[in-house]
Amino acid sequence: MAAHRKIKHTIYNDSTITFALFVNLESCKNIRKCVMNGTVEASLLKSSMIIDPFQVLVAANKAVHLYKSNSMMTKNVHSEILFCLSPSKNISESFRAFGAADSDTSVFVAIVNDTEDKTLAKVSEILGHQPVPLEGVSSLGDIKLITKAYKLTDEELSHFPMLDALVSRIAAKEIITAGKGRI
Amino acid sequence: MDSVLLKQGAEAKLYSYDFYGRPCIIKERFKKSYRHPTLDVSLTSQRLKAEVRANLRCRMAGILTPTIFMVNFDNSSIYMQEIQDAITVREYIATIQEQHKDRAHANDLISPVAEVIGKTLSKMHANNIIHGDLTTSNMLLQGDPHDLKLVLIDFGLSSFEASAEDKGVDLYVLERAFLSSHPNTQELFDIILNSYQTTMKDKSAWKEVIAKLDEVRLRGRKRTMVG
Repeated sequence: MAAHRKIKHTIYNDSTITFALFVNLESCKNIRKCVMNGTVEASLLKSSMIIDPFQVLVAANKAVHLYKSNSMMTKNVHSEILFCLSPSKNISESFRAFGAADSDTSVFVAIVNDTEDKTLAKVSEILGHQPVPLEGVSSLGDIKLITKAYKLTDEELSHFPMLDALVSRIAAKEIITAGKGRI
Repeated sequence: MDSVLLKQGAEAKLYSYDFYGRPCIIKERFKKSYRHPTLDVSLTSQRLKAEVRANLRCRMAGILTPTIFMVNFDNSSIYMQEIQDAITVREYIATIQEQHKDRAHANDLISPVAEVIGKTLSKMHANNIIHGDLTTSNMLLQGDPHDLKLVLIDFGLSSFEASAEDKGVDLYVLERAFLSSHPNTQELFDIILNSYQTTMKDKSAWKEVIAKLDEVRLRGRKRTMVG
């Protein structure tokens, strides 16, 4: 089980963020059901929208910060991670584009404050799989889809690594999407 | 994770930090007790947002700026990528001028940097981004200065304006800062303007900006409010 990663929040030392990647699944149907009905508290992210664990870390870091400062847009910290990861300010659209779907055969899981890794164990059990190294997510990311969703420009991509372009947008989302909806 | 105070400016404090393994700068805008509290909160938040917005718009236009990692509205701080192995254009020019006492020779050595400054600002203005505080201290050269990787920073006073007036003032602010920080560099500033012009696709827009620059040179940064 060493493939997952547990990280202390950079500001709130009492908060941790756990990441795990699961691949070769039959479907995400059962785990999605458990998250929807509240028996498992975790964030199920669409692996095709992720190119690097750092991309999710910036979103999760932000979600925990918003949770701690009582300024979340969604109802709990796990849905907030999903919303933070998405460039859209429409919550249901964000869930559709960045949340794992029933038919997905891989999923990137983020769990906040998983004491003794109990939730992770539960997720593994439901999926019937053990997590694989997180770096594997870079081969699952769909560059075309990501470019389109985050509206990355060619100019930008010719000067910056894609990861940095995504990270800036995630961190600055509420500032750049305020007002007329254009940057 | 500890933050180390690097610099204290009039507006903000800069800390060096480690953001999950990435070298990071925290720019924290502090409270100013001499300002009315309501005005202070409003100005601080406006500048924080302006800074982040212009940074991203520049990146989308292909102008190098630091990557933003996090924005904390609670204490008005921005966590951004530390541009490593970089010196300010101000330091660079001063060093070259120090090393080469022959003015013409020093200017020759610096002219590629002046050219890339003109090109970058032209691109920025073509996208209607006004920096608001152009100085050679707010421009970094990353890596080997000969690579001409110019990174723009400090967008706290930026705005988005299409008018030639605002672009002219932006250039005027740079001219004043440039000539006062670096003695005997009028030729270098002319290279900046020249390269600004060559890069600008819309030639009539360029003429308008330069006409405004001449106008602003005569009257100063502030417009006369008469009439």
